[in-house]
Amino acid sequence: MKTEANGRIRARGLLGSALAKAAAYLVMGTFTVMTLYPLFWLTMNSFKTTREFQVNMLGLPMDPTLENFKMAWKFGEFGKLFPNSFIYTIGATAGVIALSVLAGFAFAKIPRRVTKWIYGSFVVGILLTINTLMIPLFIEVTILGIYNTRLAVLLVYVGAGLPIGIYLSTEYIRGIPTALVESARIDGAGYLTIFRRIILPMATPVATTLAILQICSTWNEFALINILVSKTELKSLPLGIFKFSSSLSTDYGKQFAALVIGMAPMLLFYVAFRKQITRGVAAGAVKG
Amino acid sequence: MKKLIIAALMIAVAVSAQAQVTLKVLNYQQADQAGYEEDVAIWERFQALNPDITLEMEVLFNDPYHEKLQAYAAAGTLPDVFYVWPGARSAVIHEKKLAKDLGKLLGPDYLKDFTGAATNPRNQLGGYLVQLPQSFTYTSVMYVNVKLLKDNGFAIPKTYADLKKMVPKLKAKGIAVMMLPNKDGWPGQSCLFSTVAGRIAGDKFFDDVLAGKAKFTDREFVNALKVVESLYKDGIIQRSDNSIGYGEGPGLFASGKAAIFLDGDWRTGAYITDKASGKALIDPKAQASDFALLPIVALPGEKYPGVNSAVAGTGWAVSGSIPAGSAKEEAAARLIKYLYSEEVQAIRYSTGAYVPTRIGVKAELEPLPAMLPGFYAANPKTSYVIDGVLDPAVYNVINDGLVAIGNGTKSATVVAKEVQAAFEAWKATKK
Repeated sequence: MKTEANGRIRARGLLGSALAKAAAYLVMGTFTVMTLYPLFWLTMNSFKTTREFQVNMLGLPMDPTLENFKMAWKFGEFGKLFPNSFIYTIGATAGVIALSVLAGFAFAKIPRRVTKWIYGSFVVGILLTINTLMIPLFIEVTILGIYNTRLAVLLVYVGAGLPIGIYLSTEYIRGIPTALVESARIDGAGYLTIFRRIILPMATPVATTLAILQICSTWNEFALINILVSKTELKSLPLGIFKFSSSLSTDYGKQFAALVIGMAPMLLFYVAFRKQITRGVAAGAVKG
Repeated sequence: MKKLIIAALMIAVAVSAQAQVTLKVLNYQQADQAGYEEDVAIWERFQALNPDITLEMEVLFNDPYHEKLQAYAAAGTLPDVFYVWPGARSAVIHEKKLAKDLGKLLGPDYLKDFTGAATNPRNQLGGYLVQLPQSFTYTSVMYVNVKLLKDNGFAIPKTYADLKKMVPKLKAKGIAVMMLPNKDGWPGQSCLFSTVAGRIAGDKFFDDVLAGKAKFTDREFVNALKVVESLYKDGIIQRSDNSIGYGEGPGLFASGKAAIFLDGDWRTGAYITDKASGKALIDPKAQASDFALLPIVALPGEKYPGVNSAVAGTGWAVSGSIPAGSAKEEAAARLIKYLYSEEVQAIRYSTGAYVPTRIGVKAELEPLPAMLPGFYAANPKTSYVIDGVLDPAVYNVINDGLVAIGNGTKSATVVAKEVQAAFEAWKATKK
């Protein structure tokens, strides 16, 4: 009797777990389709002529063409913009990580009376929107004489990335036992040595998180670079893509091709580093 | 002798360096618009023809253009030549008078070759010729499939009643009488309601509202909204049009899904032959024989029959900070005159960019764009485009209200009240 009852309970449990699994797959599958279908639709339509797109928006291309990509590459001047995007992304990411982790160490492990004020002055930057900063930044770089230079772009990108970078680094490094730092001090190590030998290796997860955040935001950044440079030789990819985006557009083929060109590097980045990205995001989500 | 040659060369270099003028240009260019390559060639040709002028060009488009222009204006570093809207979109240039008066710079002798509407300073927010409009845009045009109507036993419609008569037969065949893709909100206001309000309430009503002498809840405005309400109720425009994106309209119309398509005159560009495929959405021969561009039909309750919403187009302006009489001013004027020359305007006209305000420009055109001059000539009476005279805080409420009327979720009276409330709220911020 008891065995029968146990069997029923187990069967019910299995059914419940199967149903829960099915529901989970359904929800995840729906979200996957919602994410992937627009990418598929965009890529598919980038191989159609504008005429074909206007009469066949959902079907596969009947007569695929690469002409859209050739023209979009030429009109968008992507050949000039790609190297700049790499320079800004790598430069800004390296700058933000280096300065954030250094500052995080100082704020978390070398407290002074003014620490909370200086820390607060950085972190408050998280609340500022780019739009409020655009015109003041433009005036500032113009006065400093660095308008239309890569230096201005890098300085602003690093500055814009520091609030969140310092916040995450400080909170992460706070979780590293202070006893480690104190022991090293007793053993005669200087702060720079402690940072290099103890803090930096332990802060790799938060540095990875920062890299992911910074790479994505810098690669796609548009508003600031639009304000900071006017020469095509200094512009980055999003400015080229934006030349194709309008609700009044008539040449959808080129518009879609330009969007695919802009999207492809980030997709490749994700495919290549998906494991590190997942780990990095998870690491950044919990204090060390 | 050798020293003499070197000295002569140095003088020549010095003189040529002195004569060289650099013009900073903020250009508005869209890479996925028909005519982009031709536009690029226009600038290259100017550079080739004028070696004494160096163009330092920045190309932007859409909102980024306006943000950058705003930043330049705030920092006092406006480019020498830039692109300007006649109204609120370029308010900072107009209100702070940051551009030179082209009426004075170009002179009446030059401007006599342009239409009166283009050179009328009253058509610009600044009250002077901040820019010279390259075109005059009609925002409400009926693209009519005459053959489809004929095949179904209908003549070209002239009145609201004519449209209403078509509904049962066409609806049974799955064909819309009049298509207005309004998912984006603004086409309902720009391509339909501006003309409806212009005919029923009139421009004076809007002037009176802005002067505090009338209200959006007044009978005229409510009646105009009621006409839109009845267009949907009578099935002339289908409620499902509110889920059609603006970009989908030309393709749907070309495939015979509607007898009439409502859009602005700029949409003729969508039917120009695609260079990549050599094909057009509607074959040029069929465009000529089977299609027509017409004004919106006569509506019930019209006080101002025959008016159509239109607005002065965009154009080039010259920075007010260039010293008068300087070489730079001369170079800027030369560039402006080149951009508005018959040769350049003919290229822009032939690519479907617009119908030029320069008189007598001729170009080889595909049939639908070629119909526009005739349309303008036959419909000279114009009315305001609502988003050209009201603040976004107000016209966005009109746009949303028109969508709600189309969906049948709000009545004309309710929308009118909401618009008035939005207007009062906006006005309060201006005190």
